[in-house]
Amino acid sequence: MEQALQKICGSRATTDPFELAPYAHDVAYVPAILVNLLTNPLPKAVVQPISAEEISSLIKWAKQGKIPVTVRGGGSTAYFNCIPMKSGLVIDTNRLQGFSEIELDQGSQKKMVWVKAGMTWKDLDDGLRQQGCAVCSSPSSAPSATIGGWVSMGGLGIGSVPYGPIHDQIMALRGVTATGEIVELSRPDKGPARNNGSEQSGLQFNDLMGTEGTRGIITEIKLLVRDVPEKEEHLLAVFNNETDTGAMMSWLGGEHFTSLYNVHFSSPEFIMSLQKAGYAHEIPPGKYSLEIDLEGKRDEVDQAVAHIRKQVKVLGGTLLPDEVGAEEWADRFKSLRLEQTLPSLLAAEMTLPVSNFAAFYERLSKLGQKTNTLCVTYAHLVSPDMALVMVLYPSDELNLIRYIVDLSFTSNLYKLGHSLGGKPYVIGFWNTPYLGKIYDKGERERRRQRKQAADPHAMLNPGKGYNPPNIILNSHVFGLAMIMIGLFRPMVLKILKGGQGQ
Amino acid sequence: MKTIEELREKIAKTSYICGSCGSCRSVCPVYREIGWESSAPRRKIALAKEVFLKKKEKQATDQYAQRLQECTLCGKCAEICAAGIKTRELWLNLREDLRARGMEHQNLTQMALQVKTTHNISTFPNENRLDWVDDLDEVEVEVSKVGSEVAYFVGCVSSFYPMSAGISQSIVSLLDRANVHYTVLGSEEWCCGFPLLASGNSEQVLELAQHNVAKVRALGVKTLITGCASCYHTWTHEYPTILGEDLGFEVLHATQYLAGLIRTKQLELGNIDETVTYHDPCDLGRNSGIYDEPRELLQAMEGLNFVEMPHRREMADCCGGGGNLAAVDKELSQAIAVQRVREAAATGATILTSACQQCVQTLQMAARQEKLPLEVLDVTELLWRSLEE
Ligand SMILES: Cc1cc2nc3c(=O)[nH]c(=O)nc-3n(C[C@H](O)[C@H](O)[C@H](O)COP(=O)(O)OP(=O)(O)OC[C@H]3O[C@@H](n4cnc5c(N)ncnc54)[C@H](O)[C@@H]3O)c2cc1C
Ligand code: SF4
Ligand code: SF4
Repeated sequence: MEQALQKICGSRATTDPFELAPYAHDVAYVPAILVNLLTNPLPKAVVQPISAEEISSLIKWAKQGKIPVTVRGGGSTAYFNCIPMKSGLVIDTNRLQGFSEIELDQGSQKKMVWVKAGMTWKDLDDGLRQQGCAVCSSPSSAPSATIGGWVSMGGLGIGSVPYGPIHDQIMALRGVTATGEIVELSRPDKGPARNNGSEQSGLQFNDLMGTEGTRGIITEIKLLVRDVPEKEEHLLAVFNNETDTGAMMSWLGGEHFTSLYNVHFSSPEFIMSLQKAGYAHEIPPGKYSLEIDLEGKRDEVDQAVAHIRKQVKVLGGTLLPDEVGAEEWADRFKSLRLEQTLPSLLAAEMTLPVSNFAAFYERLSKLGQKTNTLCVTYAHLVSPDMALVMVLYPSDELNLIRYIVDLSFTSNLYKLGHSLGGKPYVIGFWNTPYLGKIYDKGERERRRQRKQAADPHAMLNPGKGYNPPNIILNSHVFGLAMIMIGLFRPMVLKILKGGQGQ
Repeated sequence: MKTIEELREKIAKTSYICGSCGSCRSVCPVYREIGWESSAPRRKIALAKEVFLKKKEKQATDQYAQRLQECTLCGKCAEICAAGIKTRELWLNLREDLRARGMEHQNLTQMALQVKTTHNISTFPNENRLDWVDDLDEVEVEVSKVGSEVAYFVGCVSSFYPMSAGISQSIVSLLDRANVHYTVLGSEEWCCGFPLLASGNSEQVLELAQHNVAKVRALGVKTLITGCASCYHTWTHEYPTILGEDLGFEVLHATQYLAGLIRTKQLELGNIDETVTYHDPCDLGRNSGIYDEPRELLQAMEGLNFVEMPHRREMADCCGGGGNLAAVDKELSQAIAVQRVREAAATGATILTSACQQCVQTLQMAARQEKLPLEVLDVTELLWRSLEE
């Protein structure tokens, strides 16, 4: 196998067990007992291609041998999205680096670049800024997330309020199909591309938007970029309760300020955890904070700031000194600092209507109290009326029983979110039991058809994103199992004095 | 000093914090060259977690040891870490543990023996420390002169390697021009111990620290200056901790001291008609917080067109010469240096400066290898050239 792969990629192919081992892991810890029961995550080989041609040869080779292929970018996801479920070949995209000269589209007067899939969002942004441009939006994992990785995920993050999900900013893309064909696809409304009907055969543009490497491999995208904004302001407002904070978030979304770039919520528990680790001391304890980032034309930013100042007052909030907001912004990629006080966190991430944010938070607090669980929450506004909410809670991966019973709490969180219009944000492998909560029946069927059309032999990232790949992950079986395990949780936490972290 | 058990406990706790997000991955110069996940900081921490937190000793393999020693200790991973982990400190602790396990790279064991024998990192006897003075016609360098204002700690590289002698020669020439009463320690200067610290051998540094500090104290100077970024870091950040006390004199990097002389007009600079860029040494910039003075000095020279590299200050890329990497994998070290000189050349600069003898040496070799039209100099060398010209 190694020889065949080396013929294609030279020394950029490996079957050395020491090198393969990391590719069986992503951000989240999952006990080996569960992983081994449900998956076979260790790849047989990893390759690092440098071109679409190499990827094409790899796919053709894998197809001959019926070897599953999983694509991996930054490996910064948490649901086994980029981890093989059936071993096979991992294509590591990190050597697909670089971007083209900035082009100006004469018709739309918009600027765009072709960028390779393995670049990180931060590297791209840094590179563009040297030329007076910037990415429109990026994930808060920009230093690690790759271009291809975020496009293949939900694509929501910092800057999504004005620019929408990343999928809206892609004008064309280049990639490799499940049969090894190299293709260039334009946005459906932009040109000659094949349309997006589920009956169409072959790979379509939308097949590569948020589909977790299950239908094709992105090698390059043509991305809209923006000019570096004339002015930036980073405000940090604190509020006394979730109602006022939620009202402020809704107001911010509803006002449609052209310069509103990002809004980031931190719960008092999140702030407290940071403070215990020696950060965020300028924020008064017990407060709910909203970082409000404005970017754009000078007068637009100034006008928005004046309005926001007034509204913060109206809602009984306080704006902290400017340096505090600037510091929060500078630390926007450092949300994991709370692991210094809570090192073994579990999480549920969901999109939620902003109008329900306060209600969600209130019920979450009650749920936390009832189950003796410290819930640490942060959220981004990702559209005028939608927030991306992350709820973290402490566990202890050194204690298997504790960890497994704690896992059941995630389904409580999704249930709570669902009751208020929320949906799990990503699927990957571990969230396949929640597919029914994410897509309605028609949409699930359409997705399955597209998968069948684009990857008829189910070679690309099998086990992800469509049907639960295992009876245990069937939504009913899984739901029941979670309820049963959840019944033991209070007892285990009591014995181990857990729930509130260490 | 920590016991090995305390050290292992500390490693275990730190490794537990890592969220495996991989923000440290793309900034790591070693990962960028090697490319496999096993070389990324997050994977090294994941293995440390297995070994120290989960007590899976079998994971401490030779490949694990090799990866831990393939690191320049540049600290860029610490700068970007999403969890705020002091990764550089963690790498040092892990190297201490490697030594305790007998897994240290043989070249590092050899280097430690060398320092023990000659009190320097070269194979020359320590009596040769002032060989570089022989080429100075107009400047008289006084040795261990009690009552001097300033002591200049030369550092092993520019004491023993002819390629770097220009740095020490420039520094004393500048001090002389500014009428500073300075002295050097000559053969009483011992290696500061940085290469030992970088190989996890803090134990052996104690003797060096005690000796060097006692010799400087005996001179009664107010200020000690170093031309080497790593010596500076060791004197300011490590010695006080190792000795558990204040040194009793201030320690400045040569660029800080010279910037002071320029500000008070005790030293006036000349003209340089060149486009010049500056490489922040990791141990002076990111690891010690000194970014401005070298730039201030460069911009104080008339005619000099100063340009910045894209990766600079806190996010400066490493030259590849740190952390004893060249002793463990010379090619890897050189490959990292090549990336850095290419970045420098792309700015249009004709001269790449730095403020560290090790960085200058490493970058000079890379520029030569790449046949780039780029001269590599220490800031102090360029300052002196401006006066000579
Ligand atoms: C601290 C932190 C903050 C985060 N913030 C955000 C956020 O704000 N918004 C957000 O959406 N997510 C966020 N995430 C989750 C994750 O980082 C992002 O989804 C990220 O975009 C994933 O990119 P990656 O390169 O790491 O992809 P990977 O994890 O490597 O892969 C993700 C999926 O994409 C597929 N894939 C990767 N590259 C390609 C390709 N070239 N072609 C086809 N398929 C491909 C993989 O097979 C996999 O299914 C965050 C994570 C962390 C740890
Ligand atoms: S210190 Fe530098 S070389 Fe070492 S792991 Fe961190 S970034 Fe890589
Ligand atoms: S950036 Fe920090 S938390 Fe993230 S993987 Fe690297 S060391 Fe771990």
